[in-house]
Amino acid sequence: MLMPPFELHHPTSVEEAVSMAAKLMTAGEAFDWVAGGTDVLPNYKWRINPKPHVISLASIEEAHSTSSNEIGCMVTLDTLTTDPSIHPLISEAASKVASSLIRKSATLGGNLCLDTRCFWYNQGEDWRRSIDWCHKADCGTGADCRVIPNQNTLCVATYQGDLAPNLMVLGASVMLIGPHGERTIPLNEFYQLDGMTKNVLEEGEFLLKVLLPDDAGKRIGSYQKLRVRESWDFPEAGIAASWIPGDVASLTIASTALESIPRQHDEEVTNHLELNNNSFDINSLASELYDVIKPVNNTALPPRYRRTMIKTLTRRAMKALMQEE
Amino acid sequence: MRSDTMSGGYRQQPGSGASETRKDGKRVAGKQRFPPPGSGGSHPEMRPRDLDFIPSTVGGKEPKPAGDHIHDRARTGTSVGKPMALVDSNAKVTGQAWYGDDIRLPNEIIGKILRSPHHYAKIKSIDISKVEALPGVLAVATGADAPNQFGVLPVTKDEHAMSVEKVRHVGDLVACVAAVDEATAIQALSLFEIEWEVLEPVFDPKKGLEDHDEPIHWRGKYHLARTNVQKRVFQEFGDRSLVSSPHAASEGSWTMAGVHHGFTEPHAVVAHWDPNGRLQLYTPQQVPHYTHRALSTVLEVPMHQINVIRTFVGGGFGGKSDPFPHEMCAAILARKAGRPVRITFDREEVYWINRGRHPSHISVNMTADQEGRISGFDIDALIDGGGFASFGHVTSYYNGVLATAPYELGSFHYTGARVWTNKPASGAMRGHGAVNTRCAVEVGLDEMAEEMKVDPIDLRLANLLPPHSRTISGFRITSNGMREALTRVREGSEWDQKFRQLPLGKGIGIGCGFFISGSGLPIHWDPKNFPHATVHIQVDMDGGVTVHTGAADIGQGSTTAVAQVVSEVLALPVEMIHVRSHESDTSPVDLGSYSSRVTFMNANAAIRAAIDIRDQLLNAAWQMLGYHPNVLVLNDRRIYYKHDPAIGVSYLQALHKAQEDKGALIASGAYRSPPMGGVHKGAAAGLAPAYSFSAYVAEVDVDVETGRISCTNVWAAHDCGKALNPLAVKGQIIGSCHMGLGQVLSEKMVYGRTGHLQNANLLEYKIPSVHEMPNVEPIIVESSDPEGPFGAKEAGEGPLLPILPAVVNAVYDAIGVRLRDLPLTPDVVYKGIEKHMKKSGIDDPTEMPSPRLEHGSLQPILVARGNEHDTRDRRRQRSEDTSPYVNGVLFGFDPTRPLSEQVEGWREADEPLPEQLADLGFAGRAWLKKEQRHMEDDA
Repeated sequence: MLMPPFELHHPTSVEEAVSMAAKLMTAGEAFDWVAGGTDVLPNYKWRINPKPHVISLASIEEAHSTSSNEIGCMVTLDTLTTDPSIHPLISEAASKVASSLIRKSATLGGNLCLDTRCFWYNQGEDWRRSIDWCHKADCGTGADCRVIPNQNTLCVATYQGDLAPNLMVLGASVMLIGPHGERTIPLNEFYQLDGMTKNVLEEGEFLLKVLLPDDAGKRIGSYQKLRVRESWDFPEAGIAASWIPGDVASLTIASTALESIPRQHDEEVTNHLELNNNSFDINSLASELYDVIKPVNNTALPPRYRRTMIKTLTRRAMKALMQEE
Repeated sequence: MRSDTMSGGYRQQPGSGASETRKDGKRVAGKQRFPPPGSGGSHPEMRPRDLDFIPSTVGGKEPKPAGDHIHDRARTGTSVGKPMALVDSNAKVTGQAWYGDDIRLPNEIIGKILRSPHHYAKIKSIDISKVEALPGVLAVATGADAPNQFGVLPVTKDEHAMSVEKVRHVGDLVACVAAVDEATAIQALSLFEIEWEVLEPVFDPKKGLEDHDEPIHWRGKYHLARTNVQKRVFQEFGDRSLVSSPHAASEGSWTMAGVHHGFTEPHAVVAHWDPNGRLQLYTPQQVPHYTHRALSTVLEVPMHQINVIRTFVGGGFGGKSDPFPHEMCAAILARKAGRPVRITFDREEVYWINRGRHPSHISVNMTADQEGRISGFDIDALIDGGGFASFGHVTSYYNGVLATAPYELGSFHYTGARVWTNKPASGAMRGHGAVNTRCAVEVGLDEMAEEMKVDPIDLRLANLLPPHSRTISGFRITSNGMREALTRVREGSEWDQKFRQLPLGKGIGIGCGFFISGSGLPIHWDPKNFPHATVHIQVDMDGGVTVHTGAADIGQGSTTAVAQVVSEVLALPVEMIHVRSHESDTSPVDLGSYSSRVTFMNANAAIRAAIDIRDQLLNAAWQMLGYHPNVLVLNDRRIYYKHDPAIGVSYLQALHKAQEDKGALIASGAYRSPPMGGVHKGAAAGLAPAYSFSAYVAEVDVDVETGRISCTNVWAAHDCGKALNPLAVKGQIIGSCHMGLGQVLSEKMVYGRTGHLQNANLLEYKIPSVHEMPNVEPIIVESSDPEGPFGAKEAGEGPLLPILPAVVNAVYDAIGVRLRDLPLTPDVVYKGIEKHMKKSGIDDPTEMPSPRLEHGSLQPILVARGNEHDTRDRRRQRSEDTSPYVNGVLFGFDPTRPLSEQVEGWREADEPLPEQLADLGFAGRAWLKKEQRHMEDDA
């Protein structure tokens, strides 16, 4: 498979990266950021929205740093699984991503900014031509969405990253940096509908690091990943839950691989705890999550089944929290 | 002393031996000795005879439970039966094996194929002017360049190098282009201007049975009305009255998704017209000979002007056994461009050329009588062939006829149909045609055993055909290790302590298998009586043995098997045997690696050639020693007098004697299977000189809350006749388990609502990973086949069959739910669980009851019959009982008289009676239509 040609840039500092991006923007040249490349490059090989320029973050030293409450975007998933300073929930989630080989290259930043996926979209060029393209990669045709036909305004491609929900339930924030400066926002505000918009990153901006609050260390968590095989597969559904043991009010739950973005379900959890006088009923909590999450048919397993599994995964995550307590 | 044995022997240059060492003891340059005569291999000294590997029938210690074998006298205890690494493994593990895409010829250019974006469309025009004008493009070809049709089976040649009139599936070949590099070739593909007339596609095989305005292919007067039926089959044997009032019955309708071989190496080909105008074609082919024939037809070049060079094959499993259109394209482009052309597929293209297992709708109804005998199998198989015929003609038969054993049946009824649809073509895949029906049959038996309240293993043991018998459809069974296989997995798995006794979510299941060991009738049988396999051996003065064979090693180890048997007969180390098998210029014709024929047929041919060489050596030794070959022993590079090993000659001495006045020894051996089988239409389908048998027990864990199945343990017994290389046999068993598990648990070719193949990549086409692999305990059963090479039968395909039903039956044992939709992905299992809960009024899946068994009155009867048959089978295996046995004896018939004389209503039919038409299954409905020629008669 031949990748389409592009120019690869290697900035060595954040400032250089940002100014490089600004320069390309001024020149009207499109570009992508690349970290480990395990998501971007396969897509390029399939000629899915390739750009003439790619800026690699690999040579930026700052992006490689790790500590218990700050993790750079270039830190590999393999490091996340083995570094003892990393929160066990993050290690657990990272260890469930793809395969050991891919984890050696894949990065935290890449996983959080993972392109959304859809079986009408993650295909070779000939294949996509045979369906007359789709909304997410329309090749200038204004093609309709193939999942929900007869509309070309919403992309329902599924976000299938494993780390995001786990970082969310630990209260993580992300530091974004670009030509207009730097900003830090909670991770649960980072993602933005729809499957094409994906997140709040503006043109020229990239995710530099993930910040964890001080109390993250007190939290224990559980991640339940549904997949067909124990290796390689993206999640077909994922539920992460965490709390500070002994403090029911600290309970947070987030889901992934069920919609276009990962979501933290604060509203449902808070309502549930309020209704139950600061206690919870696992089954009804699971049903309440089931009610608000609506997967579509664009991954390996059918949406009805994936939705049903929200209940099982939530129950299992909660039971794991209670057992660990 | 070694120096004595070589007195007057071999020196680097003439001269007396006196000056070979100087006074200071150092050697004189140029006077070194050659290694002693007879040396070779890695051990300078002769090894003692390995009596453990010499049959007891010829004085060794190797047990021979089935008695004498015709090849026992050719055994020397050298290689056969000893586990050894495959002879090409070094090349593979060091990355030096040359696969299709490793071929780099000087001046090569790159070919790319333009593929159809439409499911079904007529090509009204193709304008290639812009493609040709692109700098760097050196050749362009379209269907018009190669109008001759080809196909793997002579009866169904329905393929072109590129579409001539219409495209038949998304990804079908439209045109091809060769350019100086890949980027230019890719760019060129976008410059074709094609005018299409899009036609209404057919995806559902059931719709393929209906009449269409524009059938996908047209077979003229043999076309079935205006349907898309490519082949229909009807077969009925036995006494159908037996099924009318059954004691127990099972009815099951199955949907099995299509699966792909998932081999590692994508297709790749290099074509080069050499300076003499001969085509040199490099391709990873399982069946180079059919490619050779097809190239000749398509290119209109005589076969002798084509040299097909089989590269190493990075996995085939049946998926590289058709002659392929891209092989033709490369040759056409290379001829036009005057330069070598290389085409390598992307994975997506691999799925589009497909040839995987047919998506199938299969229903199996079976009945048993009050004595627990199987009174009838009633099978209907509608299989989805995709856009081309490929091996489908054969598959249509195999789906039925390969279910006629290992059980003795009162009657057998099969309707099958293969339809063309606008999808990538299905074809042959490991376990060709037998896998899906076998799964349905074995699960049916499990269900019937439950109804009869008997153990499913005892039900099987009481209904097996014995060794040396005939199936209901007339197949000749020779060796038969089915009973031993069942008994050993029962013991190994502690079945009696586990079956129907495990807690919810844990289950154990049984499945059996039966497969051909070589196809009795070759696909191409011209010229008349041409052998299935031929092997040439040449031994020159250096003592190395060069073996020329056309057998295609696709990783199964056929080269090693040939090296082993030659090594065994000549008593030479395997490293002295050099197998040359890559080029059609030097290899005798071999019909290829399919239908598990290679070890059986090719090794048989190799043994014959080796025996010829051996006899030449023994005759030379006779002249030298004065002892008749009958009293000479071959052992590790020496030939000596049986009663005094000191009287002997080295292998090289004998060889050089034999070579006097004629030079290199040469010999040719061939194998052709004996005539056999019935005379009804389709009688040849499924005929084999021997059959393999297998039985597996699988243990599973089912997560009742998610529907995920994890197979934890498999006890896998396979009767391969004689394990020439036990390591390779175990590898085949474990590999088969992996492949079959994929089909039963997660692999499927997903065709979405628009008919597109949604998962043409290895991420979404879910081959089990190492985490999904259970512990497999391979158990080798050796029944010593009388016609097999040293008793061997196949081990490459048969071992795949039993894993599917074993898992499905184990899932039932675990959760009490019968599932008949393959693969059993978590959603399918969970849906079954939900349905089961609703039916039984249970809310929580963890509270479902596990199935339990209390033996009924039939159990002791079956056990007693099984024991009785055990004695019968042992006697027949050892030829203590040589009376004829045909299917039907269990039902009280006399095997020496035709059954039709004994039973009123005994049928042997290949067409339905008019009164049967109304009751036929899905595939059977194909018989409601008439062929065009008969429609014309009516008109």
